[in-house]
Amino acid sequence: MLENSTPSSSAPARSLRIGVAGPVGTGKSSLIATVCRALAAELRLGVITNDIYTDEDARFLRSAGVLEPERIRAVETGACPHTAIRDDITVNLLAVEDLERDFNPLDVVLIESGGDNLTATFSPALVDAQIFVLDVAGGGDVARKGGPGIARADLLVVNKTDLAPYVGVDVPAMVADAETAREGRQVLALSRSDAASVETLAAWVRGLLVEHRAGTHTPQDPGPMAPHFHADEEGGPGLLHSHDETEHVHDGEPAHTHH
Amino acid sequence: MNLSTTPLSPPLSAPLSSATISMMLADARLPVGGHVHSAGLEPALSGGMPAAQVPGYMLGRVRTVTLVEAGTAVVARHVAVQGTGQGVFGAAQLAVALATVDRAWAARTPSRAVRDVSRSLARGYQRLAGTLWAEHPAVVASALGSTPPGPTLSRPVLLGVIAAAAGLDAESLVRLVVYDDAQTIAAAMLKLEPLDPAIPPGWVLAACAAAEEFVTDLAALTSADAIPAWGAPESEGWAEAHSRTTQRLFRA
Repeated sequence: MLENSTPSSSAPARSLRIGVAGPVGTGKSSLIATVCRALAAELRLGVITNDIYTDEDARFLRSAGVLEPERIRAVETGACPHTAIRDDITVNLLAVEDLERDFNPLDVVLIESGGDNLTATFSPALVDAQIFVLDVAGGGDVARKGGPGIARADLLVVNKTDLAPYVGVDVPAMVADAETAREGRQVLALSRSDAASVETLAAWVRGLLVEHRAGTHTPQDPGPMAPHFHADEEGGPGLLHSHDETEHVHDGEPAHTHH
Repeated sequence: MNLSTTPLSPPLSAPLSSATISMMLADARLPVGGHVHSAGLEPALSGGMPAAQVPGYMLGRVRTVTLVEAGTAVVARHVAVQGTGQGVFGAAQLAVALATVDRAWAARTPSRAVRDVSRSLARGYQRLAGTLWAEHPAVVASALGSTPPGPTLSRPVLLGVIAAAAGLDAESLVRLVVYDDAQTIAAAMLKLEPLDPAIPPGWVLAACAAAEEFVTDLAALTSADAIPAWGAPESEGWAEAHSRTTQRLFRA
């Protein structure tokens, strides 16, 4: 094999890597298509999708025509989408590095998680920032339920606000709930048919890219799990807390993995 | 605290045992992307193989493709150990020698889909080796031989390189390849055709036992020409078909 190889040239430019997570059907692929549509003319973009059963998301995005098909790649996750974006991120890292090399230089790579549940978040070793996506059709109370993505993703999107009248959800109340859960972190009420909201999303990406290039943006870990209760082994009152950047390890709490 | 830039190398004063290296490399929690693979099981089931035949499928691999994988890994390890032993080879020469072993493996692996998947999985091992044993001459040479989007080495060659770098003996390396293949099938089985999870580990042990008669001879291989050349054509056909499907849980 070696005789055909060429020495690798200088390392490709490191893009801004943005993760997009959230439950199934909340509009992650659609949000990525929206970002591409808004920014493809001014930024060099790439997309990685993590599908659970198919390459449906990648095919949807390719057919949306918002980006060259070659810039959209799918990775398999062995039915463990949360593992592939958080614990063993190897396949996603290789896919991002390949994309950065093949289309050098890229400004932004968007990585879509497989639609999972409320607890799946990206490793900060894979993405520089992450968007967590909810939608009004999933219920106005979901934002109140919290969880690492809802509470601490860099941006929480409440999607499909145009559907609110049909599903009986009060968007301002849902956004207010989310802002409470997020202790002031940004919440964006988005509809792809609401140009102002799309521009806010595009501006958020642009602002992040400026910080990324200036070296002033530090990836944050939303944490692996929601605030939860540990029964006190001594029979005491127990402890309600959340795991955050200063997370500690609980003695005796087994490591958890999927394979 | 920034741990991301401080990989620790094993201290030379405390060499690791082959058992320890085997445990780490055989552990499904090893971060090399192995969880997206099923050792051909999903392609086989999709291709119509009855679930009841999975134990036989495991044993069939032990007597065919696993011999090719294990033999390749052993010869790659031999080349890597010889090439770094007395500084006889430079990195470029060692890379050529590893590429020769890789070609011997490719000649014995007729399915392009199977080869592509092996090379893709190998990149996860390359990443790991480049972090843990970055200075080892065989690891440096293997990186020279892996230049995506150009050619990259296969998984058994990378396993041989890691065995040389980490100090894994040849017999343990053969057993590792056998065990890993069988255990990958067993774990994937629980996702594809769920059953009492205590049962497949018995199949894994049966597959490992069936491989014992080959271990000594395989571990003694030193030449790429001597790598076994057994094939599994039906399995290769399933792999080819699987690589074109749009509905799959596992890469292969």
